[in-house]
Amino acid sequence: MSAADLNVLERPHDRLRRRRVVNRVMELVAWFAAALAVLILGIVIFSVARRGASVLSFDFLTKPQLQFAPPNVKQGLANAFVGTFVIVGLATLMALPFGILIAIYVNEFASKGIRSAVTLTLDVLAGVPAIVIGFFVYGLIVVAHGQSGYAGAFALAVLMLPLVARSTIEVLVLVPDSLREAALGVGAPRWRTTLGVVLPQTIGGVLTGATLAVARVAGETAPLLLVSSLGASGIHWNPSQPLSSVPLSIYELADSPEPADHARAWAAALVLMLFILFVSLTARWLATRSRRKIAQATR
Amino acid sequence: MTSLDVTDATRRPFTGRRVRFGDLLLQGVAGIAALGALVLVGLIAWKVIEGARLSISTFGLSFVWHVAWDPVHNQFGAGSFLFGTVVTSVAALVIATPIAIGIGLFLSELAPRGIRGPVTALVETLAAIPSVVIGLWGLLVLAPVLRDHVDPALHSALGFIPLFGPASYGSNVFTAIVVLTIMILPIIASISRELFLGVPPELKEGALGLGATRWEMIRGVVFPYTRGGVAAAMILGYGRAIGEAIAVALVIGSFTGISANLFNPGNTLAAWIAQQYAGLSTPLATSSLMFFALILLVFSIVVNLFAQFIVRRSARRQGLSR
Amino acid sequence: MPRNGKLVRITLALAAAGLVAALAVVMAGAASAKSSSGSVNGAGSTFVQPLVTKWEGPVQSALGISLNFNGVGSTGGVTAITQKQVDFGASDAPLSQFNPTCTSCVQIPWALAGTAAIYNLGGGTLQHLKMTGSVLAQIYLGKITKWNAPAIQKLNKGKSLPGTSITVVHRSDGSGTTFNFTDYLSHVSSAWKSQVGIGTSVSWPTGEGEPKSAGVAGAVSSTPGAIGYVDVYYAVHNHLGIMVMKNRSGNFVQPRAAGIKAAAALDTHPAKDGSLSIVNPPKSKKYRNAYPISTYTYVDVQKSSGGNAANIKKVLNWAITKGQSYGPALIFEPLPKAVVTFDKKQIAKIHS
Repeated sequence: MSAADLNVLERPHDRLRRRRVVNRVMELVAWFAAALAVLILGIVIFSVARRGASVLSFDFLTKPQLQFAPPNVKQGLANAFVGTFVIVGLATLMALPFGILIAIYVNEFASKGIRSAVTLTLDVLAGVPAIVIGFFVYGLIVVAHGQSGYAGAFALAVLMLPLVARSTIEVLVLVPDSLREAALGVGAPRWRTTLGVVLPQTIGGVLTGATLAVARVAGETAPLLLVSSLGASGIHWNPSQPLSSVPLSIYELADSPEPADHARAWAAALVLMLFILFVSLTARWLATRSRRKIAQATR
Repeated sequence: MTSLDVTDATRRPFTGRRVRFGDLLLQGVAGIAALGALVLVGLIAWKVIEGARLSISTFGLSFVWHVAWDPVHNQFGAGSFLFGTVVTSVAALVIATPIAIGIGLFLSELAPRGIRGPVTALVETLAAIPSVVIGLWGLLVLAPVLRDHVDPALHSALGFIPLFGPASYGSNVFTAIVVLTIMILPIIASISRELFLGVPPELKEGALGLGATRWEMIRGVVFPYTRGGVAAAMILGYGRAIGEAIAVALVIGSFTGISANLFNPGNTLAAWIAQQYAGLSTPLATSSLMFFALILLVFSIVVNLFAQFIVRRSARRQGLSR
Repeated sequence: MPRNGKLVRITLALAAAGLVAALAVVMAGAASAKSSSGSVNGAGSTFVQPLVTKWEGPVQSALGISLNFNGVGSTGGVTAITQKQVDFGASDAPLSQFNPTCTSCVQIPWALAGTAAIYNLGGGTLQHLKMTGSVLAQIYLGKITKWNAPAIQKLNKGKSLPGTSITVVHRSDGSGTTFNFTDYLSHVSSAWKSQVGIGTSVSWPTGEGEPKSAGVAGAVSSTPGAIGYVDVYYAVHNHLGIMVMKNRSGNFVQPRAAGIKAAAALDTHPAKDGSLSIVNPPKSKKYRNAYPISTYTYVDVQKSSGGNAANIKKVLNWAITKGQSYGPALIFEPLPKAVVTFDKKQIAKIHS
């Protein structure tokens, strides 16, 4: 209680009323803050939806991008969608096993000191800006071997790794030791227990982490700028060449003077956000489901 | 960061058993993976330092505050970019924090049951929007509005302050600040919300029982209890703002000097790296850009460790005070 | 199997399917890359990008080769070809301007156009503003900040210029157009030459930076009162104001075919490394109608270009001959004969 509350010249009734007024004002401030957040989100989503929806069409999803084409020629961003699909898919294939193995080591084998060291490393890695990771992969791979979808996938995998590892650790910890003891009691070796008993319990959590990582990384532009930006026109699937990607296309179309390019950028943003929304909802469903399963298994 | 009952892996029910080949294999492979993570971070640091070496040896530490980016005369310095990074991220933090804490309080204390879920989901959705989409929106929707209406109004009202000088650019520092604020808002808000929810109810009820208004309870119980965590959240938000390249590159307008006027274009370390991605005209320029990456790397590690330290210290304090 | 065995089975099945699909995709992609040997990839100058993109269709039908170009700016193009990431790099600035540069490349001037000084003051009576190099330099030095400044007003008597601030726009990335523009400014303003100099990327005293020609055109087009510089095609295509520049003979010339052609007469014999300079032609009857900010733009190719050398040579030979006919519609002037002759010899130097 501050000194002002001890102002003895104020009658108790007035003091109480003042405190109530302050309380009310603060409540309104909090409501206002929340309303502001909702408003901003609403404006952004509304802008994307309104401006993007009109361009969204089957052609948009299936036809490749053309430069300097006259307005009547149909074009879309199929090359970017394909590119993102390939790059993010490869990144997931790289990051997922790596992340799960790290989590298994940290939780099942590591001593306290190593556990701290590895989790600290993961936290530090998670905090490195994406543009620095992109520059790193540029120096590591691109300078010697040129740009490629593989390099892009590797950069995204580095971004995904801490997310996958951390969420797997969190779920592994939830699996009670009684389960491990039970397997032990039946005579199962440690590796069998870990892979066959403990890990399946955590599948939901692992998938949650993986899907959240995919959602996060699907929209990352910065690393791909440096590492997979010289994509050829037309639709390409070959990861040993640089591939286009959706966020990169948005970034490039945004600066264009053509309103048609802006419209396509909005449509791509809409598709990206719908994808992320879908993936996040899936992750949330998986998370609740996994929590329920673990709760059941430990009853 | 949840407080889980974690037993040391070496005290798990497995120790003392006969070691099987499969066990060794799993431990080996998983161990290599864990080692790989450490190696990866080391590799990142090494590559960035190696790339920056030419610039470091040419300019030394004074590069960090030297104001120049002149490829014609081969003079480079991070000064103006560092200035831009600090100005935009600090301003974004200052504006976002009160709003984020307000949102956190709203979602933990004040919101009616039915609204709590949807609004929490909305805040988390805001966090999930990719930076390129926010940048696109900032460039095509926000910037014209600011340029045509808000900036001139602020200039005519507050023009005597050098911060609010003449406004003609749509892509400028002010727009970047607004965009960064929107980006770090949900981070601080959702962490704050979790922290506020984690305050033991008996402490809160105790204060209320003594006759405190809800605001007084928040001020007297919730804030002190969560002080460390909120500080860590702010620091994490700050770290995010520092490293943001794409959204800022789209709206900040790319000016390589220092200006007090918020309505002038500016630049930040991260955004400049994004803008020069295609290549640079001299090796010294490329190395100087790597030096920027090194500064950002050091920044992010320091910020991260600092946030962890604060969390650990406040957790210890709370452990003692119980 | 544990309680959530179903989820485990589904996941494993999906993972296996995903792995198989990924392998299939990678193999298909690799296979298709091998079989489509008829493709030539380039990157670089956004100045020449409209023309090269225009060539893609005709090259496909005439030569059966798939031409592909990424506009990342001249510096990006030179970097890409130096690192052998593309078949050719396009740059409006000669290779000697870059460091590191492609020492094992041939430099071939393959197109010719002008850099327009663009502005946005709406249409109407303020179209075709007259401008001189020294006033333009002062604007870009930040010394003249409003449109109704006396220096500008003096050149445009009879037009009422607004009091809006001049919003200066320039390139943020490494650009051959910047090289051409700063080359011109250094010729006409000693203050610019000493303070800023010439380069593909300079320390701009004022203004905002945008990436690529499209970015500059976009910024000027969306900002009333803005000024910029860009290949003339972008200016015309986006209906931007184009300044009429005073040349050294005292005439005000537009960046169109006649003006560019007259300027090209200044230098028709490329230097040994293939570069030509036609900026700011001197006062003379021959150059009286010359547009002072004209420039050649180059394609850079590795002398030893590996398996794709034959295709690259086919495309380049087509570009400097038949390809030139696509130029005028995009305000590119066809190459003079002497330059074509030189180019053919350069192209002959490319081998596998």
